[in-house]
Amino acid sequence: METTANANLWIVAVNVVIWTGLFLYLLRLGKRLREMEKEK
Amino acid sequence: MKTLLAWLLWLWMCLVIVGAFFYAPVVLQGFRTPGSSRIVFFHVPMAWSSFIGFIAAAVWSLLYLIRRNPRHDRAAAVAIEIGLLFGILATLTGAMWARIEWGAWWNWDPRQTSILAVILFYGAYLALRQSVEEPEKRARLAAAYALLGLAVTPFLFWVVPRITFSLHPDPVVNRSGKVDMDAANEQVLFASGFGFAALFFWMQNLQCRLEALAERRAALKE
Repeated sequence: METTANANLWIVAVNVVIWTGLFLYLLRLGKRLREMEKEK
Repeated sequence: MKTLLAWLLWLWMCLVIVGAFFYAPVVLQGFRTPGSSRIVFFHVPMAWSSFIGFIAAAVWSLLYLIRRNPRHDRAAAVAIEIGLLFGILATLTGAMWARIEWGAWWNWDPRQTSILAVILFYGAYLALRQSVEEPEKRARLAAAYALLGLAVTPFLFWVVPRITFSLHPDPVVNRSGKVDMDAANEQVLFASGFGFAALFFWMQNLQCRLEALAERRAALKE
C-alpha cells in the first residue's frame, strides 16, 4: 500500500515538473511575441 | 493579467494531477487493471481538446467564407494543427494503456479506428493546404474542407464508438453517451477537460500570433 502511495507521489512529481516546463516555455514564448509585436 | 491567468491555469492543472492520484478513487467497473483507470483524466481531455479544435476550425472556416478575412483562415489552420497534436497524443496515450489493459498496442477497436480516421481526415486538410499555392484559393478550399469536418468529426468522435461494440470501459464509452462515474472522478475529469481546453486556446493564440508575425516579416522581405 505504502509502495503504491510512494509510486503515485513520484508520478505526480514528474507530471508537475513536465507541466511546469511546458507552462514556462509557453509564458516565455508569449513574452517574446509581445516584444516582437511591439518592435514592428 | 495574461501572466496571472497562465499561472492560475498552471495551479489548476497541478490540482488536477494531485486530484487524479490522491482524491479520485480508482475506477473498478470495466477495468482489468483498475490502477490504469487514472489515464482517463489525461487521455480523455486530450481527445476532447482535439474535438474542440476541429469544431473551432469549422466555425473559423465558416467565418472566413462569409467575411474573407485571412485571420480566420489562419485561426482555422492553427486550430486543426493543434487539434491534430492533441489527437495524436490521445492516440499514443490510448495505445500505451491498451498495451496494459488489452495486451496489444493496437486492437482496431471502433474508438481507435475512428480517431485514426479523424487524424487521416485532418492530415489530408494539411496536405490540401500545402498543395495550393495561391493564398485566396487555398483558404477557400481549406475552409470548405474544414466545414465538411463539421459532419465527419462528431460522427466519428461520438456516434461510431457508441453504435458498435467497443472494448473501451463502460464508464467512458457507453450507449447513453454520458460519462458514468462517481462524483469525485467526474469532478477531476471535467476539471482536467477545462484545463486542457484552456491550454488548447492559449497555444492556439500563441501560434496564430507567431504565424501573423512570420507572414508580416515575409511580406516586408518581398
